Amino acid sequence: MDDNEKRTMTLNLTPREMAVLEELAAKKDLSKTGVMRLALRLLQAVDAKIQMGQKLMFEDEKTKEKSEMVLI
Amino acid sequence: MQESRVYLVKSATKQLVEASLLDEVMDRHLAMWNGSWSAAMQAHCAGRVLRDKPEDHHWDWKWKAGEWRPLLGYHSFAITCEGELQGLMLVSDLKSARIQAQFGKPIVYVEFVATAPWNRPEIQTPRYRGVGTVMVTAAVELSWELGYRGRIGLHSLPQAEEFYRDKCGMIELGKDAAHQSLMYYEMTDKQAEAFRLGH
Repeated sequence: MDDNEKRTMTLNLTPREMAVLEELAAKKDLSKTGVMRLALRLLQAVDAKIQMGQKLMFEDEKTKEKSEMVLI
Repeated sequence: MQESRVYLVKSATKQLVEASLLDEVMDRHLAMWNGSWSAAMQAHCAGRVLRDKPEDHHWDWKWKAGEWRPLLGYHSFAITCEGELQGLMLVSDLKSARIQAQFGKPIVYVEFVATAPWNRPEIQTPRYRGVGTVMVTAAVELSWELGYRGRIGLHSLPQAEEFYRDKCGMIELGKDAAHQSLMYYEMTDKQAEAFRLGH
């Protein structure tokens, strides 16, 4: 299959999920589809790092406090 | 994989020559990098102390390729001209903007970009000019395709700062302590529009 060929899927979201998607789309200046595609690419990249034994960390810019996000 | 026709300036004749921009670095490009590119870089670096070597002399594109290839958020580009590899670039689309006006919005981030050793003025009279401009244009175009409105960002090696600031019109946001103290640059959607019109 051509790598640029697109396939269609239907996504059913709860009202709350849809509200978050709409909020993120506005915040990120993306379409709702754009947000979902970005989320997929991001999850794949994070998962690949975790598979390699790396950790996903967040650091508070002011306090420098670090916290680890554990993905399932 | 998509191939686009682009143009470089051949220094010897000062004429525009047709080149190919591919939106995927393939094994044949890595073989070219491992061959003539690496050989030219090693020849230039032989006998020089570290500070006199090009800042990217240690970049291993074959190793980098193994890391990025399976990932959807990474995109690689190669430019070939007259049968030789002239430039390589790796970008990601997972980072967000730092400029206040577009803070938090996604950007295409240039992870690595390099022109072949024979195109660098600090090594020899360049065979071709314009590789950097073609690569920045490709990053901006990808940003448009992804819905990022042309926004891009990158950390620049010191010798390329002038190019990004003056030729590309990117905003300089200071040295980044978290990134080897390299200068960080960003292009806004409006700057990207102006850049596209000019190229």
